[in-house]
Amino acid sequence: MYHKGNLYRVFCVLIILGMIISACAQAATEVDVVPEKATAAPTAPPEKKVATLIYTQEFDSLAPLYTSMWFSWTTWQMNNHWAWEFDEKNEPFPRLVTEIPSVENGGISEDGTTITMKLRDDIKWSDNTPLTADDFIFTWEMAVSPANLVATTYPYDMIESVTAPDPQTVVVKFYEPFAPWLANLWHGILPAHILRPIFEAEGTIDNAEWLRSPTVGCGPYNFVEWESGSYARYVRNENYWGTPAKIDEIFIRFVPDDASQVAALKAGDADLGTFIAYSDVPGLKEAGLNIVVEPNGYSEWMFFLVNEEIGHPALLDVRVRKAVAMAIDREGIVRDLLGGIPKVPASFWDALPFYNDPPLTNYPYDPEGAKDLLDEAGWIDADGDGVRDKDGVALELEHATTIREIRQDAQAVMQQQLGEVGIKLNVNPVDDTLYFASYADNGPAARGEYDIQEWSDGPLFPDPDIYYWLCSEIPSDEYPTGENWFYICDEELDALIQLQSTQVNVTERKETFTKINQLFYDQVYIIGLWQDPDVYAVGSHLVNAKFSGVTMFFNIAEWDLVP
Amino acid sequence: MTETADPIPVASFNQDELETPPLTLGQLTWRRFRRHKMAMFGAVVLILLFLYSFGGALVLSEKYANFADTPLRLSSPSLEHPFGTDTIGRDVLARTIYGGQISLIIGLTAVLIENIIGISIGALAGYYGGKVDALLMRFTEAMLNIPEIFLLIVMAKYFGGKIPEINMLGREFSGSVVVIVVIIGLTSWMYLARIVRAEFLSLKENEFVLAARATGTSNFEIIFRHILPNSIAPIMVAATLGVANAILAEAYISFLGLGVQPPTATWGNMLDGANNYLESAPWLWFFPGLLILLTVLSINFLGDGLRDALDPRSRAA
Amino acid sequence: MGRYILKRLLQGIPLLFFISLILFVLMMNTGDPVATMGGRRVTRSGDYERLRRQLGLDKPIYLQYIYWLVGNDWTKTDVDGDGIVETPGTRRGVLRGDFGISLLNRKPVLEVIGERLPNTLILMVASEVVIIVGALLVGIYSALRQYSLLDNIITALLFIFYSMPIFFIALISMYIFAVLFKRWGLPYLPTVGMFDPQVGETTAQILWHLVLPVLSISLISFAAYSRYIRSTMLEVMSQDYIRTARAKGLPKREVIFIHALKNASLPIVTVVGLDLPLLLGGAVVTERIFAWPGMGRLFLDHIDRADLPVIMGILMLVAVAVVVFQIITDIVYAWLDPRIRYEK
Repeated sequence: MYHKGNLYRVFCVLIILGMIISACAQAATEVDVVPEKATAAPTAPPEKKVATLIYTQEFDSLAPLYTSMWFSWTTWQMNNHWAWEFDEKNEPFPRLVTEIPSVENGGISEDGTTITMKLRDDIKWSDNTPLTADDFIFTWEMAVSPANLVATTYPYDMIESVTAPDPQTVVVKFYEPFAPWLANLWHGILPAHILRPIFEAEGTIDNAEWLRSPTVGCGPYNFVEWESGSYARYVRNENYWGTPAKIDEIFIRFVPDDASQVAALKAGDADLGTFIAYSDVPGLKEAGLNIVVEPNGYSEWMFFLVNEEIGHPALLDVRVRKAVAMAIDREGIVRDLLGGIPKVPASFWDALPFYNDPPLTNYPYDPEGAKDLLDEAGWIDADGDGVRDKDGVALELEHATTIREIRQDAQAVMQQQLGEVGIKLNVNPVDDTLYFASYADNGPAARGEYDIQEWSDGPLFPDPDIYYWLCSEIPSDEYPTGENWFYICDEELDALIQLQSTQVNVTERKETFTKINQLFYDQVYIIGLWQDPDVYAVGSHLVNAKFSGVTMFFNIAEWDLVP
Repeated sequence: MTETADPIPVASFNQDELETPPLTLGQLTWRRFRRHKMAMFGAVVLILLFLYSFGGALVLSEKYANFADTPLRLSSPSLEHPFGTDTIGRDVLARTIYGGQISLIIGLTAVLIENIIGISIGALAGYYGGKVDALLMRFTEAMLNIPEIFLLIVMAKYFGGKIPEINMLGREFSGSVVVIVVIIGLTSWMYLARIVRAEFLSLKENEFVLAARATGTSNFEIIFRHILPNSIAPIMVAATLGVANAILAEAYISFLGLGVQPPTATWGNMLDGANNYLESAPWLWFFPGLLILLTVLSINFLGDGLRDALDPRSRAA
Repeated sequence: MGRYILKRLLQGIPLLFFISLILFVLMMNTGDPVATMGGRRVTRSGDYERLRRQLGLDKPIYLQYIYWLVGNDWTKTDVDGDGIVETPGTRRGVLRGDFGISLLNRKPVLEVIGERLPNTLILMVASEVVIIVGALLVGIYSALRQYSLLDNIITALLFIFYSMPIFFIALISMYIFAVLFKRWGLPYLPTVGMFDPQVGETTAQILWHLVLPVLSISLISFAAYSRYIRSTMLEVMSQDYIRTARAKGLPKREVIFIHALKNASLPIVTVVGLDLPLLLGGAVVTERIFAWPGMGRLFLDHIDRADLPVIMGILMLVAVAVVVFQIITDIVYAWLDPRIRYEK
C-alpha cells in the first residue's frame, strides 16, 4: 500500500514535469510561430520575409569549379552569377556581359576559336570591389591548375589563353574551334582579390576559407552560414549591383528522406520542394502546392551495347533492337507509373527543338510487329521454353540500372512485356557507386557486362554536344577511363559527332545534328523511356518563382512571399 | 506384481508400477513450456504463418504474384485483390505469400549460419582455452565493437550485385537473398559465441568430460557429443531470438535500399516500397508490417517461453 | 586496479588495429568515390584520372592503408600528373591525429565528425535516460504486480513495440503527430530537423524536436530493458536477505528501492554500459527519417558516396568508444559489487 502510493507519486511527478517541459517548449514555439506567420505577411510589423527551401541532398561544396552537384549549382544564382544565364525557356540572356557574343557582333571570330566578351561596368562584389576581367582570368587559371582539386576542368582545358586588353573585355582563345562554348563556360566566378593571395602563398586554393564559406559574392544574396546536416542561410545582398531581391532571407533545409520532405511540404513547413517524385504529385496538389515541371535536357534512356566481340549477338541486328523498342509499352509506363506527367522522348535532343528538327517520332507499341521482326531476324523459339534462340544462343539480355523505386517498377513491367514476345530480360539493380565505377575499378557497366544499360542522361544541355559514342572513347586497358560503355564504333556516327563539336556556325551544326538524329533513329542505338525534368513543389505563399533547366533559380531576385 | 523370493529385491521390482519413468529433458521442457500461455500462442501463430507462406504458394502461383497489371495499380483492397495492389499493379496478397517465404527463409538460414560460426568459435575458444581462446575472443570482440548496422551497410555494399540469380525450390530469386543471409549471419554470431564459450568454460571441468578423456575419446567427439548437448538450452534460446533479429535486420537493410532487390519480394522491401504511400495507400505497408510484427512477436513469445522452460531457476514456471 | 586498467587499454590497441584493417579492406570495395563526382553525369575521363591521382586513389590498397595510418609527408607524390614525383605529401596519418580530408567536401574528417557528434549525443543520451527511467518504473511495477491485468497489458504492448521495425514506428508517429494533428488543429510536433532555422538553435526548440525521435527509439528498447529489470528484480526479491529485511519490519519502500534495486541494478549497469557506445552509431534509420543532423546520417550520406576517410573515422571512433566503455563498465561493476575482483 505504502510503496504503491509512492509509485503513483513518482508517476505524477514525472507527468507534471513532462507537462511543464512541453508547455514551455510549446510556449517557446508558439511565441516563435507567430513571427513565423508574420514573416509571410509583408504588411505585419517589421518582420522578415523568409523563404524555406528543402533540399534532399546536402551540398558537398559551395565553390564554383569544385562541385558538380545540382544542389550546389543552385546557390550560384544566389550569391554568384554565370556570365550569361538561361531563362525558363532555356534561352540565354546576358548577365555579367553586356550582350551574348556572336558572329554578328564580333564576339566570335571568323575561325571560331576566339570569343570576345564585353563585361558590364557596374558589376561588383559584395565588398564593393569591382568585378572585372581579372576575375575571369583567375577563374580559368584555377580551373586548369593541377594543384587544385576541382571537380572538372572542362572546358577550360581546351582554352589556350584568356586575356584582358582592358578591365571590361575578356578574350578567350580556344585551341580548336569549340562549338559548345555557350553552355559550358563561366559557371560562377571566383573572386581574384580574395583567392589569388592565397594561391600564391599556398600553391593551391583548396584550403581557402572562402571555398567553404563564400561570404563575399556578386549575386542578389549573401551567404551567411552552413550548418552541416541541418541548413544553410542566405540573406539579401544590400550591396547588390542589380535590382535588389524582394525576399529577405533564404533558408535551405536538408531533408534526405523523400517521405519526410513530402510530409514537411504538406504541413506547410517549407515553400519549395525539389526533385519531387511523380507519385507524390497528386497528394501535394491536393495539399495546395503548385507543381512546376522544367525540362533540363535529361531523359531516362536505355542504351544498347552493340559490339561483335563482347556483346550479345542478337543486338548486332538492328531488327532485334527495333523489336525491343516495339515490345515495350512506353506510353503505358508513363501513364501508369509516372502519372502521365512527362512524355516519352523520341530523340536525345527532345528538349532542344532547334536541333531535333524535323522532330523524331517514337516506334509504336506493337508486340505483334516485334514478334514478326524477331522471326524475320531468325530468332525463333526452337526449344519451346518460351525464350527465343538462334544457333543455340538464347535471347537473354542483361539489363542493369541503379536502385530507385521507379526504375525497379519499370524494369518489372518491361521484363513482363519483353517476356511476352519471347525475350528474356534479366534485371540487375546495382547501387550507383558500383554501377558507375570505371573500367579500372571493374565497374560492371564499364566492362561491358550489361547488354542494356539504363540511366538518366542528355546532351550537354543547353548545348547539343555529345561524346559517349565516339570510337576513341571505348574503354580498354590502355584507356581505362573511356566513356563509351556501349562499345559502339559506328564510323559514320563517330565522324558526325566529331564534326559537330567544331561547328561554331549554328546552321551548319544544325544540319549535322539532323543527320545524327536520323542515324540514332534508324539504328535504334537508344530507346527513350521517359523525360526526366526538374519537378518542383511550390508552396502557395511563394510567387513569381520561375525555374530554368540550366541556371535553376535565375530570377530569384524577383521571388516574393505573400500571406 | 511379480515378487520373487530372491534375497536381492531391488532388481526385480517392476519399476513401471512403482514410479513413473524419468522424464527426458525434452519432455520436461515441454511440460514447463505448455504452461506458458504466451509462448503457446506464439508457437501456434508461427505455425499458421508458415502455413500461410508455404501453403499459400499452392493456391496462388508465383507468376500471379509477379504479374503487373499496371492499369490496376494502387487499388485498395477488394474482392479480387483482398490486400489491394502495389505500385505496378501486382497483387499484394500474393506478394506477401511469396515475400513471406523469402523473409522466413532468410530468418532461418541466417540463424543457421550464425549458429555454425558462433558455436564453432565459442566451442573451440571455450574448450581449448589459452592462446586459442585469446585469439578467438579478440576476433570476436573486434567484430562486436563494430555496430551491427554499420557492418550490415558496409557488407551490403561490398557484396552487392555480385551474385547472380539462383534457382531453388522451384523458384527463381535474386542473388541478393544470399547476400543478405550471409551478411546477417556474419554480423550476429558474436553473442552466441560468447554464450557458448561461457558454457564450455564451466562444463569442461566436469567429471563426465574427465571420464570421456580418460577413455580416450577424441577432442572432436567430446566437444560435439558430450559438452555441446549439455549447453543446448542457451543455444536454443539464442537461435530462436536470432530468427526474429534476422527478420528485423532484413527489414532495416531493405529500408535503406540495400536489401533484397525487387522484383523478388520480401516483407522488408515491401515496407520500403510503401514509404511514399503512407497516407495514400496504407494497404501497401499495413499487411507486410502486420506480418512482420506477428512473426517477430510470436518468435519473441516463443523464445521467452523457451527460456523460462529451459532455465530451472526462473520463477515463471 | 590501475594496472588492470592499463592492461586492458594495452590489449585494446592491437584490437583497434585489427578492426581498422578489416574495415579498410571492406571499404575499399564498396564503390568508387570518383564515379559520382560528375553530378548527374558520369565523371569525364580526363577529370576521372586527374581526381584519382590528386586524391591518392590510384595507389594500391596496402599503400593507401599505410598513408591513412601514418600519413604521406615522409614521401613525395605526383600532384600535376607529369609522372615526376616531386611534391611532398601533406597528410600526417591517423596515428598522429590526422584522419585525412573528406572525399566529398574536402573538409578535415575530424571537423566533419565533430560537427555532428554533439547532436547524436543529445539524441542518444536523451533516449537512454527516457528508456532507463521508463523501464525502471515499468519493470519494478511489473515485478511487484506480477501477472496483474495492468502488467499483462503493458507487457503485451511492450512486446508489440519491440517487434516492430523502428522506421515503422518513426514514420507512423511522424504522420500522426506532425501531419495529421496539424491538419486537425491539435497542437502538433515538428516533422523534421533538430530545430526550426527561423527560430534558431534554442534549448526549447531542441527539446520540442527531440520528442518524436526519442519516442521512436525508446519504445523499442523499453520492452527489453523492462523485462530485464523485471526478471532481475524477481530474482532478487526471492533472496533470503530481502525476506530478512521484511521480517525486520523495514518499510516496503526502503526494501524495494534500497535493498532490492541496488542489487538488481548490477546487470543493468552492464547492459547500459555496453549499449552506450553503440548508441554512437546514432540510430541510423531514425536520424534519416527525422533529418536529425547526427552521425548516423553522416554515415549514410558518406557511405553513399564511398567517402572512405570519413567512414573510417566514424567507425574507428565508435570502436574506440566501445573499447573504452567496456573497460569503464567492468570497473564500475567491480566497484558496485565488492565480490568481484579482477585478479591476474
